[in-house]
Amino acid sequence: MKIYKSIIFLFLGLLVFTACEDALTVEPRDNRVTEAELFQDPATYRGIIAKAYAGLAVGGQSGGDGNADISGIDGGFSNYLRLYWNMQELTTDEAIIAWNDGTIKDLHGHVWTDGNEFINAMFSRVNYQIAICNEFLALSTDAKLNEYNIPADIRADVANYRAEARFLRAYSYYHGMDLFGKMPFRDVGYDPTVLPEVKNRAELFDFIESELLAIEGDMVDARMNEYGRADKAALWMVLSKIYLNAEVYTGTQRNTDAITQLNKVISAGYTVPSVPYAYSFYADNNRNGAESEFIWTINFDGLNTQTFGGTTYLTHAPVGGNMDPTEFGINGGWGGIRTTPEFVELFPGEENSADTRETFFTDGQTKEIPDVAVFNDGFAIQKFKNINIDGTAGTDTVGDFVDIDFPIFRLSDAYLMYAEAVVRGGSGGDINTAENYINMIRERAYGNTSGNVTTGLIDLPFLLDERARELHWESHRRQDLVRFGQFTTSKVWAWKGNVPSGTTTASFRNILPIPSQELNQNPNLQPQNAGY
Amino acid sequence: MNQKFKAVLLLFLVPFFAFAQSVLTGTVLESNGLPALGATVSVKGTSNGTSTDFDGKYTLNNVPPDAVIVFSFIGYTTQEIPYTGQTEINTTLEENPSELDTIVLIGYGSTTKKNITAAQTTVNEEEFNKGAIVSPGQLIAGKVAGVQVTAASGRPGDGPTIRVRPGSTLGGNQDALYVVDGVPLDQRNASLNSINPADIESFTILKDASATAIYGNRASNGVVLITTKKAKLNSDLKLGYDVQFAVNQVQNYADVLSADEFRQLITDQGRDPSVLGTANTDWQNEIYQNGSRVIHSLTAEKGYETTSIRASLGYTNEHGTLLRSGYERATLGLNVRQNFLKGDLKLTFTSQMAQEEIRNADGGAIGAAVVFDPTQSIFNNTGAFGGYFEYTNNTGPEPNAPRNPLGLLNSLDSQLDNSQARLNLNAAYNIRQVLGLKFTGNAGIDYNEFDSYSIRNFDSGAGARGNNRSFSEGFRRNQLLDGRFDYKRTLESLDTDMDLTLGGSYQDFTLQTTGRSTINNSLQENPVGIDDSALVTAFARASFDIKDLIVLSGSASRNGSSRFSEENRWANFYGISGALKLTNTNFVQNSGFLSQLKLRGGFGQTGQQDIPVSFAFLSVFTPGQPQAAVQFGDQFVTTIRPEGAIDLKWETTDQWNAGIDLGFFDDRITGSVDGFYRETSDLLLFGPLPAGGLENGSFQNAGSTLSRGIESSISVKIIQSENMNWTLSANATVQEIEITDLAGAENAPVQVGGISGGVGNNIQEWSVGSDPTTFSVFRQVYDQDGNPLDGVFVDTNGDNIINDADRVRYKKANHDVYFGFTSNFNYKNLDLSFTLRGAAGGYNYNNVASNSANYGSIFPTNTQNPIYINAPVDVLDTNFSQQRLFSDYYIQKADFLKLDNISLSYNFPGDKVDIRASVTGTNLITITDYDGVDPEVFGGIDNNLFPRNRGLIFGLGFNF
Repeated sequence: MKIYKSIIFLFLGLLVFTACEDALTVEPRDNRVTEAELFQDPATYRGIIAKAYAGLAVGGQSGGDGNADISGIDGGFSNYLRLYWNMQELTTDEAIIAWNDGTIKDLHGHVWTDGNEFINAMFSRVNYQIAICNEFLALSTDAKLNEYNIPADIRADVANYRAEARFLRAYSYYHGMDLFGKMPFRDVGYDPTVLPEVKNRAELFDFIESELLAIEGDMVDARMNEYGRADKAALWMVLSKIYLNAEVYTGTQRNTDAITQLNKVISAGYTVPSVPYAYSFYADNNRNGAESEFIWTINFDGLNTQTFGGTTYLTHAPVGGNMDPTEFGINGGWGGIRTTPEFVELFPGEENSADTRETFFTDGQTKEIPDVAVFNDGFAIQKFKNINIDGTAGTDTVGDFVDIDFPIFRLSDAYLMYAEAVVRGGSGGDINTAENYINMIRERAYGNTSGNVTTGLIDLPFLLDERARELHWESHRRQDLVRFGQFTTSKVWAWKGNVPSGTTTASFRNILPIPSQELNQNPNLQPQNAGY
Repeated sequence: MNQKFKAVLLLFLVPFFAFAQSVLTGTVLESNGLPALGATVSVKGTSNGTSTDFDGKYTLNNVPPDAVIVFSFIGYTTQEIPYTGQTEINTTLEENPSELDTIVLIGYGSTTKKNITAAQTTVNEEEFNKGAIVSPGQLIAGKVAGVQVTAASGRPGDGPTIRVRPGSTLGGNQDALYVVDGVPLDQRNASLNSINPADIESFTILKDASATAIYGNRASNGVVLITTKKAKLNSDLKLGYDVQFAVNQVQNYADVLSADEFRQLITDQGRDPSVLGTANTDWQNEIYQNGSRVIHSLTAEKGYETTSIRASLGYTNEHGTLLRSGYERATLGLNVRQNFLKGDLKLTFTSQMAQEEIRNADGGAIGAAVVFDPTQSIFNNTGAFGGYFEYTNNTGPEPNAPRNPLGLLNSLDSQLDNSQARLNLNAAYNIRQVLGLKFTGNAGIDYNEFDSYSIRNFDSGAGARGNNRSFSEGFRRNQLLDGRFDYKRTLESLDTDMDLTLGGSYQDFTLQTTGRSTINNSLQENPVGIDDSALVTAFARASFDIKDLIVLSGSASRNGSSRFSEENRWANFYGISGALKLTNTNFVQNSGFLSQLKLRGGFGQTGQQDIPVSFAFLSVFTPGQPQAAVQFGDQFVTTIRPEGAIDLKWETTDQWNAGIDLGFFDDRITGSVDGFYRETSDLLLFGPLPAGGLENGSFQNAGSTLSRGIESSISVKIIQSENMNWTLSANATVQEIEITDLAGAENAPVQVGGISGGVGNNIQEWSVGSDPTTFSVFRQVYDQDGNPLDGVFVDTNGDNIINDADRVRYKKANHDVYFGFTSNFNYKNLDLSFTLRGAAGGYNYNNVASNSANYGSIFPTNTQNPIYINAPVDVLDTNFSQQRLFSDYYIQKADFLKLDNISLSYNFPGDKVDIRASVTGTNLITITDYDGVDPEVFGGIDNNLFPRNRGLIFGLGFNF
């Protein structure tokens, strides 16, 4: 009897334990879903590729960069466009910032270290973008499409999405190659427990080139895709960018290939707008006529694509001092960003130039910058305005978030690149065509032909300055200065090198350091870029 | 003939005598009238003894004449009754536990104080801090070595932060595990405030791992056992009513420039005086008021033969010292004990129910009052923004200017309503079939519903732009089921008392929140948040009390948590400890001065799994909100984000403890010293992951810490007599915490400790070899008078650039030593007591000064219309031209000594009713060198904390 009792007890005990094991298997009951549940709705693919695009525009899954993708830094600070802009503009003569956020001042001062949290966040963000694209590709293989019984019409869309995912991935590898030199590399189907291997600059160039050439045919034709999505023209632009900068990345120039790709872009039907230059950076720049030259944009909306980075940052941060926020369609400026005297001097007549691309605000501002931390030191720039052409403010009535779409690539950029590639000796184009292109840009800027140039004036120094006048604050400057050899060891501007009148800096700063956090996590990235 | 006859008669009687000598019987009762089971009845000076049975009856044989019969029972005064030939001796024992015989709680059980082998301390009601206490934790501040209590802020309803031997974890939950009447509370939301402090009988704090190992799965930060009061059986009806009335005042304001000093500064700096106003406003004075608090407590207890009931009602109402802040709470406690089956089955039902209303005042007013221009008047003459003066630009309120502090307070209507019910049924059953076997089971539920809203007036500076309403509701529920078998047996051959325990427990937790907030000026539903987790434990313990000299104890538990994947779900923890009880040895008994001596030592391993992430190992997808959508064509597409998964496992802590308990001069002086050494590995902390995955950072098991300390406590009965008693007690703890490993191959330091001033700035750093609260700063350069040179820092790496590579580790916030001192004096009916507590060795970062005390902050350049911003007087000492957030000038010594409470009370004993009147002062004196408002800052970053209060409390208590 006693033995029976013990057996019964043991049995009950075991029963209790297996029940306990079940009790410990808990699944989320809120809006987080597992893969199997998610793909019961085939429209999910559109949502995931949207995340790949959103990665460039917003910082997280909620408005205002809430539920951020990147940790370790403020949500708005982690915004891709904002970080990329900081890397490309704050380090140059085009922009200088007054704030005390962490080590942000070190960017303009060329004294950044490998512990700089903005450089760290940029590295994280670029690689995060690549991971999202890889994840999309892994979830949209034929095997997966079959597993989830995706209907044929969605499959056709998914094929386009896959090409765009590979494009966005190559685009971020291009940024990584441009900023950091080497990058951790992962392709679809990677083993998450193995640390990524590393590709150096030349290997990245080869990968990006081969990727883009491989998917060229699968991308939607130029100007045929939904507004905001990348198409063949965006792809040609990325190719022409890497070709134009090829000597920096690989040591070998590829100017002819650049011209080949640029010709495709230029003949795709884009036109320089007949509306004023300022319209290209207004809240309604997707429909006020400026959109005729936009090749690829990152789109923002005051109600639906809300972020404190992106064009919201570019609209609020440069407003301060005596500037009137109502003119910018916002509730108040953040008093941060102005420009250096050297940039002001690129415009003949400086703040009184006939060139309408000059938008300096000078009331209460001084041209020179005695103190970096004082917004009134340095002329302000009034480029991005959250107003419609009729003067009304953007859709966000609170005045925080803006509607301005950010042009990543536009026709004017292609024209200037064409001229540069020709001047640098590439074949497939000629200087007279280049002169025509540039004069189209200049006529828009001046409103008449008074600013037109002749082929004799088109040389490399002119082109560098013209790119600044036309494309300032559009995230090109650092790359341009590096290509022209003027980012570090030659050319000075206010506070370069943390010295008031500026000084040249060491050439190792042409590349950003691999963040020390990353070297710590992934020893494959050793050794650190030279000089850091 | 007669003599022979007498001798024969005597001979006949001899056997009768012999027979009468042998047997003594009787019944032994406890003071409540119930039979005492297991009491010892013995002949003094011999080994002739027996125990009483279930009915309290005993039979003692071979009792010699002139014997003295000794009746002894744990928890009761030993009685000695001379044997004069009776056949029956009955007696009722009186409860009078000697200190060492006190029953003390341990995890899942109890033992006697003298048999404790681990580091633990019990604080009883008489030792609690006095005052109008709202939050239970405040009762033990400064009382226990190794327990660091940082006083609650002045915010009504706030509780103190309690840390037991801090330093075991970096990223996981640092709170101890609270167990109330056997129910472990949800560590993330212990909600101690729902317990009426007047209902608490004692706290037992289990400090070392051998004590807590049985709670293995949540016990790395110590365990606090809270016992609520229960009525005794067979007791008279007792009624009690207590009322306390407190008046509170903010203890200190931040030292900022007055209106005239500010005007002088503007003139000295050559700035435009037309931007100033014409008033003289002390903004801090305007936002604070004298607060008041009233606490009522009504208790009733009655014990019948098999039932005892205690009910208590409490009511608290507080008006906080910050305008518009307040707290109201009603509590109901009901404890019922019922015995069945002649005491074999004891049911205890305990419950605490509370209804709380917390009126939130806008805490932003505290910082705004420090920086608002003192020359501006409070009100405008336009009536806009509710009548309060506000800075504006062409679009409305100037976003880069401070808001009017009174405008902030009076435009916010925000409240949190909490209903809490904690119910537990405990059943203890003596299993008759096996002597010494007992089963105890618990079924409990802790349910909390909360409802909060926050509405900002549109007609105000802060609300004019809209997006100013939010609502949130939800509930938390924690259910417990546990059971254990206890088997006590005396192994006579080994002269050992054995106590075995085997049991298991299941607990599950749910949190659900829903809410709505205004986005784009319309009310939008927030996504529903649901978090579930469950814990299962199986535990066992064996204790052996050998020859009343050596106690050995070992426990083991097997724990499973739903937070981890199946491979990592289960973990085993264990503890062993031993004690050498030298108190009853000849050495101690004959020493003349020693009255108590016990040596203790132990080792234990515990685990931690309480992180805010419940499904880290599952790959899930998170949908995006409509405001983070992407434009495709003319459509806004909401995004779906794939999340990374990471397989986490238990964080484990190994702890060694050694201690000594001493008593001198018949326990006039008692004390103990404990030393502990602790290593935590597989630390659960949030850290970076290598780039290339779906997360750049996540909770992970990476890193380890080391901590050690010495705790000492002493209690001296200076005067001990019938009319006058005076006891002094003190405790001091010395501690050291060090990080020994971090994530990644090179253990790269991690920046922590966010501060105000810019965005994303951190002032502290985790690095291997340092305390986790170490500051990371620039070394300021000072001139020969000791004044800092503006913007001049030491170029520590000699590269002629000042950048983050020049920051160095400097000082830390954690104190080296913290201590408490209590004096209790009593003369007839008069009581006088006070408690001092303090700490030394830590530093604070004065963020209030670093953020605002510089000319760049006083004269901002990002507002459309020029404004001036006030600053702490520190700006006149440093003359910093802009924020120097990382200067070591702002790292200031935070040593302090506080008079936590001092209380005078008088008892008026009466026939029908005892009355007790008291007056208490709380937080009256603070001695410190620190410049800021209050040196006691948890974490070391002083950033406009809600100031603490100084209070005067009048109390009246009635006992019928």
